[in-house]
Amino acid sequence: MSESATREPRQRRAGRILPREDGAISLDLVIAVMAFLAGLALGGVLIAQRTAESWQAGLAGRITVQILPEGDSAPAREVNAAVRILSGTPGILHATALSDADNLALVEPWLGRDAVVAVLPFPRMIDVQLAAGATPDLTALEKRLKAAAPHAVLDDHGRWIGRLKNTANSVVFAALAILALIAVGTAATVAFATRAGLAAHHEIVQLLHLMGAQDRFIARAFEWHYFVAALIAAACGAAIATLIFAAAGSLDQLGVSSVSFLPPLGLPLRDLGWLALIPAGAAAIAWATARLSVVAALHELY
Amino acid sequence: MVRFENVGMRYGAGPEVLRDVSFALDPGSLTFLTGPSGAGKSSLLKLVFMAEKPSRGLISLFGRDLARLKRADLPALRRRVGVVFQEFRLLDHLSAFDNVALPLRLAGHRPAEYRRDVEELLSWVGLGTRLQARPPTLSGGEQQRVAIARAVVAKPDLLLADEPTGNVDPEMGERLIRLFAELNRFGTTVMIATHDRALVESTRAREMRLIDGRVIEMRSNR
Repeated sequence: MSESATREPRQRRAGRILPREDGAISLDLVIAVMAFLAGLALGGVLIAQRTAESWQAGLAGRITVQILPEGDSAPAREVNAAVRILSGTPGILHATALSDADNLALVEPWLGRDAVVAVLPFPRMIDVQLAAGATPDLTALEKRLKAAAPHAVLDDHGRWIGRLKNTANSVVFAALAILALIAVGTAATVAFATRAGLAAHHEIVQLLHLMGAQDRFIARAFEWHYFVAALIAAACGAAIATLIFAAAGSLDQLGVSSVSFLPPLGLPLRDLGWLALIPAGAAAIAWATARLSVVAALHELY
Repeated sequence: MVRFENVGMRYGAGPEVLRDVSFALDPGSLTFLTGPSGAGKSSLLKLVFMAEKPSRGLISLFGRDLARLKRADLPALRRRVGVVFQEFRLLDHLSAFDNVALPLRLAGHRPAEYRRDVEELLSWVGLGTRLQARPPTLSGGEQQRVAIARAVVAKPDLLLADEPTGNVDPEMGERLIRLFAELNRFGTTVMIATHDRALVESTRAREMRLIDGRVIEMRSNR
């Protein structure tokens, strides 16, 4: 009596149909690494997208007028004339000439703070803020500026924004392509592992088949086996990628940034949420490939 | 129950291992399939439990022509057949208990429903104290008894056994044959492939002899 009572808990649950095969650890490791790389690629896509948006938002609605330092020109007089014209133009909110100190601050990240920098012939800059939705005739404006300030050059940032957009788009597409490659690689790895597992468990599959197991019973055993394994492994990989972006975000917040003109490498919390899609995606890929492989293998049996 | 008409079978492009085999097993009958090694006994059993397809001829099982059955109909038919494989084919990662319970599990039963039956059956074949032992830790004879218990646990309509007493001592062999006879008495059709003459002579059952892929002798002892 007492023996049966002690034995009962062990027998309540039926044993797993599939053993945890040898080599499962290395498969888990491969899936975890794939998920980590996918996490980095996805993070890269999100950073590139956010950066492109912030660049565009920062430059949209602004134009810059430069007074080039040439020969015997009188930049101060030309700056004043240009600011007057700009301020009187409909659609322009305000026009502000940048001081020498502002100019030096702009070039400081690239050239440093040497004394020699201060004597370099910098153009004088006028930052112009357009009213929301205003589209002034820039060609006519430039003509009027040239008449009063012959060394004035008007830059609406169109080319710069275009290049930035192209660069950001290239980065986004490259990261998406890497993401797609990693997804294909993960699917292929899981499919390969499933087939290897099927080959290793061929005896079990054939026996269950001969004993009258429905295809879906056998397929389910494999599906869940690989679904759970991929979910756990990919969650570990994605978690490491998330930690890296979170750590970079903390450094950004602390004001520690390695290269000042690069966008911050941290991701806000809502963007980090997207990385949770990776384990879900990996598990779904594992589930689907396992099912397809097992059903295909079973159909080869009588 | 089982009917073969002019059945031939070959593996791939090899020679025919079974030639023009015709016979019928009546419901509730007990038949010995005898013959020397390589005569085709195992191949004939494989055709009956639907592990292989014949290269020609007609096989019907439980009144249904196997060639006309849809794939989806086969699992239900297979669950009506219990098989003792010559090489046992136990699942090494499962306990003796779970191995024996497998047919009941495949039929959708829950552990609570079958625990007592499985334990009783394992006790009957002398393995009551080894319920949780895994096959690699069991002797050949013990593995064979687990395989037999697995084949009979779901009380199949048709029981096929390939050399079921090959690895056990005569006393246990006799006990196992009694188990088959008991099942047969309750209506299970039994076919036992063996070249153990003593086993065949110990009962008055029908004998079907296979030599070189042909049924050359059929003797009814009933």
